[in-house]
Amino acid sequence: MFEVRFHGRGGQGAVMAAQALASAAFSEGNYAVAFPYFGAERRGAPVLAFTRVDSKKIYRKTQVYEPDFVVVLDDSLLEMVDVTEGLKDGGVVVVNTRKKPEELALGENIKVATVDATGVALEVLGQPITNSSILGAFAKATGAVSMDAIEKGIMDIFGNKIGMKIAEKNCRAAKAAYDRTISADGRPREKEFEKKPKWLPDVKELPIGGAGVKMETNAGMIGPGSFLENKTGGWRTFMPIVENDKCVACQLCWYFCPEGCITMVPYDNNRFKKGIAIDLDYCKGCGICAHECPTHAIEMKR
Amino acid sequence: MKRVVTGNYAAAFAAMRARVNVVAAFPITPQTFIVEHISEFVNDGIMDCEFIRVESEHSAMSATVSASATGARAFTATASQGLALMHEILFTASGMRLPIVMPVVNRTLAAPIGIWAEMNDVMPERDAGWILAFVEDNQEVHDMVLQAYRIAEDNRVLLPMMVNLDAFILSHTVEPVDLMEPEDADRFLPSYKPEHAYLDPERPMGVGIFTPPEYIQEERYQTHAAMEGSKQVIKEVNDEFAKMFGRDYGGLVEEYRMDDAEVALLTLGTVTSTAREVVDNLRAEGKKVGLVKVRFLRPYPTDEIRSVASRVKAIGIYDRAISYGVGGPAYIEARSALYGHTDIPISNYLAGIGGRDVMLSDIEFMFNDLLKNAESGKVRKELVWINTRGVEQ
Ligand code: SF4
Ligand code: SF4
Repeated sequence: MFEVRFHGRGGQGAVMAAQALASAAFSEGNYAVAFPYFGAERRGAPVLAFTRVDSKKIYRKTQVYEPDFVVVLDDSLLEMVDVTEGLKDGGVVVVNTRKKPEELALGENIKVATVDATGVALEVLGQPITNSSILGAFAKATGAVSMDAIEKGIMDIFGNKIGMKIAEKNCRAAKAAYDRTISADGRPREKEFEKKPKWLPDVKELPIGGAGVKMETNAGMIGPGSFLENKTGGWRTFMPIVENDKCVACQLCWYFCPEGCITMVPYDNNRFKKGIAIDLDYCKGCGICAHECPTHAIEMKR
Repeated sequence: MKRVVTGNYAAAFAAMRARVNVVAAFPITPQTFIVEHISEFVNDGIMDCEFIRVESEHSAMSATVSASATGARAFTATASQGLALMHEILFTASGMRLPIVMPVVNRTLAAPIGIWAEMNDVMPERDAGWILAFVEDNQEVHDMVLQAYRIAEDNRVLLPMMVNLDAFILSHTVEPVDLMEPEDADRFLPSYKPEHAYLDPERPMGVGIFTPPEYIQEERYQTHAAMEGSKQVIKEVNDEFAKMFGRDYGGLVEEYRMDDAEVALLTLGTVTSTAREVVDNLRAEGKKVGLVKVRFLRPYPTDEIRSVASRVKAIGIYDRAISYGVGGPAYIEARSALYGHTDIPISNYLAGIGGRDVMLSDIEFMFNDLLKNAESGKVRKELVWINTRGVEQ
């Protein structure tokens, strides 16, 4: 049996990748399951997905705690999440990054493989969607499934969801990524990953009926207002750049921003002219404001 | 054709193969994909049914009841708050003896609000007159939706049926499922030929009408007898399905490694699946443990559970819900079936509430606790809260 953990961000298709890998392993005569981390998903938030493969039927319905392989769809996660947590000795980490594997210090007794899956995806698909390319890299780096099987898995899962033509393109992306993947032995970490504590009160400490006031815990503030500590700006890949000269103060972006981080502000010292200001501590870079703005006053830049 | 699909897909696919005539549903996490897949099938022209979009689950069940009362094969699906909102009409469905089939993706009923696996949504509906089946993997989701129509539409039964599957653990997890070919499904499940309630302008009938006390008690007896009678039908349908497709679920219960077992753990839902692995591990250590998968809570497999109790020295019941002040609902059911029939220790294990992962070690704990009870002949603890912070287990 082998177990794989995928690290991605909401919207990057980590779950589809995990499913396509399961389908790939199944096409080679294995039993395979894939599932998301059972959590609420938000676009941009770090998410997990898992695949479990065995030659015989898999009965356990538990989550994966000690993966054999880890796949990282977005290298900005390396600083936020301990991607090697629970990884078995001799395990492999496959990372989408422009860096060489030698440049990543993710720990000893593991193998690190890298590929510029974003580059491959932009080249082949014309879009920075890396959940197919990374599977090619996975096949090359781990040898756990063949490239042939990966193609079958992509055709099955992607094909049934977004159409056969696009699935074929995704297969080409996976193949290109397969050819460009390089591996190296893992280097020791420069410093231990600082594990974020979690607030786990017992039955006596837990507020009755969940009616909690704002309070300090070992894991930071909880309760009303405590979300201010959760700086979703860290999720951002694209940044909204505002040209307030073009803004007509229609407030559409203000209505649509899911993080509520846009405010209308006086502009150009003119009390009749307003523009917008974006709180970058919380802007997660979803691009909805740019999409909605009728005058193209907002542009998303990397 | 075998494909790697989610439990939600398996449910939707089986509804298509059952050639249901009417689907009326409202989306709710984690059931949404069942309805979405069906709307895609209809849109792609591979499923021929009336798809009714409604404004709530109360309306979904109302529309499904109406459709079924005209003689159509009707389908809906829900979860959690959605099921609670249907509550009133669930009684209409069973009282009018309508063979509706509804997958229920078992999810926490608020408060606290949560979207993960918990059976406190379906447990309050045990008295609603629905047949309640519980499944452990995606193949069983698919197979039980098809079997459900055979059971529900049997003239000896004529009761609605829920197929309960755990939120996310099945609904959002892909695994290989043998998806039935249309010819096979048609052979197993012919179209619905209603004899008691249907719409025919030549032969108008009143259904669900105002009924004074002179009649209601007899109607209640009829429905009770039908539920009792469904036990036989469930077994027959299981056997016929097994003969045709090679998958035998054992009927009302499935016993796993119960020969010479000294203790038995009764499970519901996906925990059964994980527990199989634990039983194998403990058996390898020479511990005589066995598993009984309770596949139906309504009708309750009274005879089967009494037979299990007569063969072991201790019995334990797993629950993913709590009836406050008493214990888990599956435990209450088992204890009531066993009253006066056994004096072995009976204990209840609560785990996985609110979607917490039920680990192999949790189930190992249950079995070891049962072995201790068997040895001492006494219940160490009646209600054991597994892995609950600040509570001794
Ligand atoms: S990109 Fe725009 S809409 Fe999205 S979070 Fe940032 S400001 Fe809000
Ligand atoms: S949507 Fe564009 S024009 Fe309207 S307020 Fe926002 S930035 Fe200004």
